[in-house]
Amino acid sequence: MIYFDSAATTLQKPPAVARASAWAIEHLASPGRGGHLAARRAAETAYTCRKLAAELFEVDDPQRVVLTFNATHGLNLAIKTLVKSGMTVLISGYEHNAVTRPLSAIPGVNVKVAAGPLFCPEKFMEEFRRQLTQKVDVVVCTHVSNVFGYILPVEQVADLCRDKGIPLIIDASQSAGCLPLSMAGTGAAFIAMPGHKGLYGPQGTGLLLCSGSAEPLLQGGTGSESMKQTMPAFLPDRLEAGTHNIAGAAGLVEGLRFVLARGPEKIGRQEQELTAQLGEGLSQIPGIEVFRDRIGDAQAGVISFRVEGRDCEELCERLGDMGCAMRAGLHCAPLAHRTAGTLDTGTIRASTSVFNTRWEVEQLLLAVRRVLKEK
Amino acid sequence: MLYYLIVCRSLTYAQRTAEVLERGGVPARVLRSPKQIAGEGCSHSVKIAQRHLSEALCLLYQADLMPKRVFAREQEGVYREVTL
Repeated sequence: MIYFDSAATTLQKPPAVARASAWAIEHLASPGRGGHLAARRAAETAYTCRKLAAELFEVDDPQRVVLTFNATHGLNLAIKTLVKSGMTVLISGYEHNAVTRPLSAIPGVNVKVAAGPLFCPEKFMEEFRRQLTQKVDVVVCTHVSNVFGYILPVEQVADLCRDKGIPLIIDASQSAGCLPLSMAGTGAAFIAMPGHKGLYGPQGTGLLLCSGSAEPLLQGGTGSESMKQTMPAFLPDRLEAGTHNIAGAAGLVEGLRFVLARGPEKIGRQEQELTAQLGEGLSQIPGIEVFRDRIGDAQAGVISFRVEGRDCEELCERLGDMGCAMRAGLHCAPLAHRTAGTLDTGTIRASTSVFNTRWEVEQLLLAVRRVLKEK
Repeated sequence: MLYYLIVCRSLTYAQRTAEVLERGGVPARVLRSPKQIAGEGCSHSVKIAQRHLSEALCLLYQADLMPKRVFAREQEGVYREVTL
C-alpha cells in the first residue's frame, strides 16, 4: 500500500515508537499513582514527553504541556475555557469541526468567519483585520487547513491578537512537527495538536500547550490533593483526570525525539516538495482540478483535487483498491469546503509524511491516470 | 539518617524541582509524600540529603520554584517542618 492519508494519522512511524509503546504496556504503570518502580518509570515517561514538547514548541515550563487524547480533546478544553455564552468568536474560514462543533455547543455564541481565497494569506489578513473588532472576545485559527494544506499566516494573526489583547487558540493539527511553531513566539493562549500525525506518536495521544490555567472537561483522580473534592488549581493535573495513556505517551516520546532530531523545517520542506510534485503531475491530467499553491509557499504537505463528473468517494475507493490510500469527502471540515467552493462535490485529499517518496508520488499519479481511463 | 523532603503540589512540579536540583549538582529523588506531611491528600516530595538543603533552596529560588513546605525527617515516622 502507498499511504497518502497522513493528515488523518501517520501510519508509518519511526520504529522506536512501536517499540516504546509495546515496552510501556508491559513495564509502565500509572504516573503519580504509586512509589514503585513501574509507577516511577511511568512518571519519568510522562515528564519526558512534556519536556520534549516544551523544547519543540518553546513552552517555558513543562507543567504547561497537558497530555490529551487527541487534538479535538485539547481544542474542547481550550474553547470551553475561554468561550462563554454571549461571546463573539472570530475563526478562519478553514476550521475543522473540532473547532466549529464545540463553538456551536455553547449557547448564544456569535461566530464570525474570516474567509478569503485559498493560498492567499494577504487577502485572509485583510479580511481578518476587518473582522477583528473590539467586539471579538476570542480568536480560533487553524495553522494549516486539513483539506487543502493552506498555511494560514498564524504568526500575523497572533501579532494582531496580542496587540488587541484578545486570546488566541491555535489548532496545530496539521502543522505540529512539520512547521515551526512557538508558544512563546505567538503568545497564544492555547495551542492544541494531535500526537499521532506529524509528531509520529500513536493514536490516542495529543498535547495542549497552555499559557495559563483552564477549565477541566473531566473530574476525577489526579494523584494530588486527594482530600479536596474540587480539581487541583494547577497544571497539568487540573486537566488530566484519570489514568493516562502512558503507552501512547511512551510512543509519543520517541516521535518527538524523531521530529526534534530532524527538525520540523526539514520535514516540512520534504513534504512540500512531494506535494508540489503531486500537484504538478495531477494538473497535467485532463479533467482534474487541483487545489495547489502555484506561486507561493502557502501549502504544506496536503493537497486536494476533484475530477469533473466523477464522485470523489467512488474514485478514492477505486484508488484504495489499487493500493493508494487517501481520503475523500468533506474531511470533517465543511466550513473549509464552503470557503473554497467545494462543498457540493467534496475533494480527494492526498497528504504526505516524511516517509513518503518521489517514487510513491509517481505510482499514485500512474494509478490516477489508469483509473480515469476506466469506463 | 536525617534527610529533607521538599513537598510539591504535583508530580510534575516535583519532577521539575528534582531536575533543577540534579542539574545544579544536588542529588534528588521524587517520591510520594508520607501521609502525615502530604497536606491535602496525596502529593509528591523531593528527597535531598541533609547537607544539601541550603544549596537546594538557593537553586530553587533561582529557578522560581520555591517549595511549598520542607520537612526534616529526624527518625522513622517523625517529621519536623522547617521554617523557610
